Amino acid sequence: MNNKPKILIIDDEKGLRIGTQRLLEEEGYDVTAVETGEEGIRIGTRNDFDIAVIDLKMPDYDGLEVLQKIKTNRPLTVCFIATAFASYETAIQSTRLGAFGYIPKPFTPDEFLYQIEQGIKQRKLILESEKLKKEREENLLELASEKSRLNAIIKSISDGVLVINKNGELAYYNYAALKFLDLSDIKIGDKILPLLNEKIVQIVEKIFSSETILLKSYTTQIELKPDNELIVEAAATPIPHPDGTLAGVVIVLSNITEFKKIELIKSQFVSMVAHELKAPLAAVQGYLNLLTDEKINLPEEKRKDYLNRSLIRLKSLSDLVNDLLDISRMELKTKFREIEDVDIRDIIKNLIQFFEIDIKKRGLNLEINIAENLPTIKADQNEISRLITNLLSNAIKYNKDNGKIIIDISSSTNYLEIKITDTGIGLKPEEKSKLFNEFFRAKNEKTRGISGTGLGLSIVKKIVDSYYGKIDVVSEFGKGTTFIINLPINI
Amino acid sequence: MELSKVKKILIVDDDIDLLEQNKILLESKGFTVITAENSTEGWKKFQDEKPDAAIVDLIMEESDSGFVLCYKIKKTEHGKNIPVFILTSATYTTGFKFSASTPEEKEWIKCDGILNKPVVIEELLAKIENFH
Repeated sequence: MNNKPKILIIDDEKGLRIGTQRLLEEEGYDVTAVETGEEGIRIGTRNDFDIAVIDLKMPDYDGLEVLQKIKTNRPLTVCFIATAFASYETAIQSTRLGAFGYIPKPFTPDEFLYQIEQGIKQRKLILESEKLKKEREENLLELASEKSRLNAIIKSISDGVLVINKNGELAYYNYAALKFLDLSDIKIGDKILPLLNEKIVQIVEKIFSSETILLKSYTTQIELKPDNELIVEAAATPIPHPDGTLAGVVIVLSNITEFKKIELIKSQFVSMVAHELKAPLAAVQGYLNLLTDEKINLPEEKRKDYLNRSLIRLKSLSDLVNDLLDISRMELKTKFREIEDVDIRDIIKNLIQFFEIDIKKRGLNLEINIAENLPTIKADQNEISRLITNLLSNAIKYNKDNGKIIIDISSSTNYLEIKITDTGIGLKPEEKSKLFNEFFRAKNEKTRGISGTGLGLSIVKKIVDSYYGKIDVVSEFGKGTTFIINLPINI
Repeated sequence: MELSKVKKILIVDDDIDLLEQNKILLESKGFTVITAENSTEGWKKFQDEKPDAAIVDLIMEESDSGFVLCYKIKKTEHGKNIPVFILTSATYTTGFKFSASTPEEKEWIKCDGILNKPVVIEELLAKIENFH
């Protein structure tokens, strides 16, 4: 790259033109010399010269005109007017037009070089200040775009943002805040505190009234619409000036309705769990109290019965704990799922063996109908096994003695259909709707004495849902129940 | 109500083990005990047997079955004159705090006291004696 300063000489006087060019080139400058004003304008406006030396009097153009054109197009080029007809007026005019210097002819080489050197210094200063100016402009531009970007972000976030200055006037807002607080007619500068929810005002006042600024948020939860329809959490945080005094308060409003609903469901679930866990414990404790109470005289048969009942209740307690752990793993999705090709026929075969004794005990008749060319499904073997186990165990438990269990397995284009029918006690219509609820157990004269955790079908439903399957139940009280499960073949 | 006037007690509870235990306990104290396993049966036995006191489990078919049954019992002429208690473990386990110690609470709960599971027989007897 050529770093030599570039100088343009515009002079119709051949001797001078060639002389100055040679002189400058010897000094290490990169010189372009032209003869006419027209050429000077053309070259001088097209290229970025460090310095232009313009003769005042040329046949085609007035030097001042050339100066003006070059300065308009190349304001950073340092221009000199050289003339033998120096006058006060032209000096002023050329300065006004942006000339840096005025070189009276004739000049000695030293005088000329001195002027050029001054010009080069000036050019450096101009370039430097231009660079700074540009940097500043760039920064400002960046700032401006940063501001609008922030603006866009704050406007579009779903949390509400309100900024209040220390006079209680609205300084900034986004639309989410207006929506939450139902403030459609508010504008910047309005006194806002009287329009806000009392609880928000309280936390804002806390900040206003505090003597020192603690960079600490105060939060409050507000039910903005009744019946848990809209609950927001408002957090107020002080905004300090650079000098540490209070500038205002920013309030962020977050919609926590869903969170609150989940919290409520969770606490209801925990209550139910606690209650369900306590029932078998209380039963066992009660029997042990009776058995150890010396004042109560129990026949041996009763004592045995109570011990057996205690064992049954403890077994149900441990089943319950296991089911709860399974549910919790399913909910947390921490259970490792091994998806493989599962052949439902193998699962049924294994489970029938497992339940053989129970089925015999009740004298149940088992009928299995499996369609030909049954596809495998992509699933976790253990989960599908658990699903069938729960349904089959219900079909045995809630059957009548010498009843029937029918297992039908078939497939359609997209689903594998599993139907398990029993000829047992069936469900009353009001029981059917609650069937998949956690801890629901149909309680009637026919279910008396059948143990269960009330979680089996809830687990079945969770498994089916996790595979995007469908579950249906057809039941008639006193006649029997059919569960129909459809599991997608290709997940 | 004096303890000596209470001869026959109705217990309604869907937990057959607790029902059995409380029956044995109360029988050991000389009471006659009649039992029911759900609120429908409990209501029927109350009307048929006119017991001298009733103990009703809170959570049966529904989570408030006990309240509903108590309310029905207390609306009857006979029910007004006998102590009716709600038996529950809910006060501890659900965090749902209630009691029936003040007149206001008795007014809406419509029972004469809350008994926690498992029943402490001395507590029950004291509550029957304090019945006004």
